[in-house]
Amino acid sequence: MPAGSKKSGTFRKVFKKTPGGKTVVHYELRKPKQHKCAECGAELKGMPRLRPVEMQKLAKTEKRPERPYGGVLCSACARKKLIQEVRS
Amino acid sequence: MFEVGNICIKIAGRDSGLKCVIVEVLDDNFVLIDGQTRRRKCNVKHLEPLKDSIKIKNKVSHSEIVSEFKKLKIDIKETKPKKTPERPKKSKKVKMKPSNEKKASKEKTATKEKPKKEVVKKKADTPKPSFEKKEIKEEKPSKK
Repeated sequence: MPAGSKKSGTFRKVFKKTPGGKTVVHYELRKPKQHKCAECGAELKGMPRLRPVEMQKLAKTEKRPERPYGGVLCSACARKKLIQEVRS
Repeated sequence: MFEVGNICIKIAGRDSGLKCVIVEVLDDNFVLIDGQTRRRKCNVKHLEPLKDSIKIKNKVSHSEIVSEFKKLKIDIKETKPKKTPERPKKSKKVKMKPSNEKKASKEKTATKEKPKKEVVKKKADTPKPSFEKKEIKEEKPSKK
């Protein structure tokens, strides 16, 4: 039976084969889901799917696109918002 | 709509939200822009025109646009272009042809023989003192 900490839903079971021929269970942490647009709900591009510990090791430019509202809105919604600001 | 001298805002790209002037009309779809953005070709779909416009001749230089924008109180940041770093060069292993390989192998054996000869010479040098010692021992009983 696994250790108590491994019974949580954050872990998933991965079955691996050893060189001796036996299959063995490994408990691995799950990756987080892809970030979504705040307005339309579409999946955002240019953002990695990593745990917070690994995200801290990346540079700022590697985590989001270089654009206003990058990482918050998708490109189509950002264009609409900029046009609204101009026309108001 | 899109004529030389119109002030627009860029909607798309990493320089979106910045103001620019149309310097030259290239096509129905493409236009040369300059201002707060870099001097570059741009698609008309990525621009949103404003009501302002400046009187500029066709194909004006960057320095004149900077002076015109100062009158409108728009700040322009001057940036230097980035130097692309050199790619690391991989040292290629020269593949020898079969005719060249024989020559190379001969050269390699010739170079190997030289140090071997030196080692043999050294071995010949070392046993000499042992022979000398034996001679000394033989002399002693003869003296007695």
